[in-house]
Amino acid sequence: MLYHHLRNELWKLFGKKRTYLGFGAFLLAQVAMLLVFRLSHWQNQMERMLGGNGYEARDYISALTVAVVMLIPQVALLMPLYTALVGGDLVAKESEDGTLRMILSRPVSRFQLLFVKWLAGVVFCAVLVLVLGGTALGFARLWFPWRGMFVFAPGMVFNVLTATEGFKFYLISQVFMTLNASVVLGLSFMCSCFNMKPATATVLALTFLFMNLVMEGLPFFKDYQPWLLTHYFRAWILIYEHPTPWDVIGQSLCVLLAFNLTTFLAGAAAFQVRDIKS
Amino acid sequence: MIQFQNVSKKFGARLAVDDLSLNVPAGQIYGLLGHNGAGKSTAIGMMLGQVWPTCGTVRIRGHDVSERRRLALQKVGAIFETPAFYDYLSGWRNLEIFSSYTAPTPPRRLEETLEWVGLKGREHSKVRTYSHGMRTRLALAQALLPQPELLILDEPGDGLDPEGIAELRETILRLHREMGLTILLSSHLLTEVEQLCTRIAVLNQGRMVFEGSLAETKRREKWIRLRTDDFVLAARDLLAARLITGQQEGLLLALGEGVGTDQIVKFLVEQGRAVYEIACAEETLEQFYLNLMSGGQPSRRKT
Repeated sequence: MLYHHLRNELWKLFGKKRTYLGFGAFLLAQVAMLLVFRLSHWQNQMERMLGGNGYEARDYISALTVAVVMLIPQVALLMPLYTALVGGDLVAKESEDGTLRMILSRPVSRFQLLFVKWLAGVVFCAVLVLVLGGTALGFARLWFPWRGMFVFAPGMVFNVLTATEGFKFYLISQVFMTLNASVVLGLSFMCSCFNMKPATATVLALTFLFMNLVMEGLPFFKDYQPWLLTHYFRAWILIYEHPTPWDVIGQSLCVLLAFNLTTFLAGAAAFQVRDIKS
Repeated sequence: MIQFQNVSKKFGARLAVDDLSLNVPAGQIYGLLGHNGAGKSTAIGMMLGQVWPTCGTVRIRGHDVSERRRLALQKVGAIFETPAFYDYLSGWRNLEIFSSYTAPTPPRRLEETLEWVGLKGREHSKVRTYSHGMRTRLALAQALLPQPELLILDEPGDGLDPEGIAELRETILRLHREMGLTILLSSHLLTEVEQLCTRIAVLNQGRMVFEGSLAETKRREKWIRLRTDDFVLAARDLLAARLITGQQEGLLLALGEGVGTDQIVKFLVEQGRAVYEIACAEETLEQFYLNLMSGGQPSRRKT
């Protein structure tokens, strides 16, 4: 039964054009960034940084390096936007369209319905991240060679890796990015379980995230960073650090999983007591 | 089949349904009447476990909807006023989706149902290309797929043209006749209810103001319809003889206490008047309903 319900949700989710907005935006952003990398003197700064640290720049200006550079702004800006958009739609759009009332005239429990919706959302996140990671690397490979990897994120990571090692971590980072995406989706999903419009659910979730992001960037809130959600979104980039800070990554994963569970349960509780009317 | 026991529902401070007790027996086509906001949709929402009652119990097929929703709705189909579908998917896929929430349905059963409702050949077109009538037929198909014993129709004729309404009426009668379904029909269309239902309940501001058979709504107690050579003179003589207490519309007479139609006929014939027709007066459902809504006394009232 769970299989059929999940299949239904995936049909619904991937049957509408709106779901593909994120994919389209990612592709456009990647093509634009790649053109900038190719046609500007972007590499000079990286070469200086590598040279200054005793590395041969041409060994590390590679497809893997460029792919991660392309991913950083997309993961920070575009991914939350599109996952929140889909998460906000999952329940609220069905409620707005009236299909939720049709479903709930069937002998299906609200909790089960929500669970498969959330699961479908997580599948969407995984697909989105996979496409994002795959296309970033694929596009980068078109113009850059397959060599060692250099990852630099101010205050977090400065490391060089072999191509094999780098690719392995690149794959692991996709899993962490999926978790990040699912947390954002879970947040807007929770909002959409309340009696509100899909756009409101999306905007509320994004407001919460951007408030966290802004506060994280303010020196005044430095001591409060462990209380901010976005602080725990770093696991995907920290994986490239040497030695790998597994304790920090583990803590981030635990917080994100707990946050995901909390938002799901809060949404389920709100949905359970809600009256569904036309 | 459906039982409401002292059910009330409040939305904030507003009482949408007030102490409703109702029993819909199996095998009936049961009409639920009332103006907008009377509480019909809320009552249907409570039957389907979409709206939680503030107090009281709603049972479907003997199962409490709040506690054993899955069992209660196992053999229930429902259609709402505006059938909502995933417009970007085909009719077939929509049916697969909706039916799987009850139980996975084999393709053969889907085909049979599509044929029954007359959508065969268009099942693989996207629902956005369907006309309103086709959407209603698709809604009927999704309601019939779980092989229901009870069909709940919430304003199903809304937005349909006269042909569509006639087709829907015929379908409802066919469902009742061929499948023996119990049908609960909530509607504004009094003529439809009059032609379809065997029993009705009327809601007004959340309270049930009438429950009874359709025949009871047509009975005008103590009123008879008389056609004679001179109604005015006949009425004046009958009034003087204290056989009637009043007359209405140049056609109706209110019988006096303990007076039968035989006495009226005998009196008129003795007076030398020609009596062409005498019968108990019947009220249309519309007259009955409007009378009820304007505060008139119903023929029978259950609360």
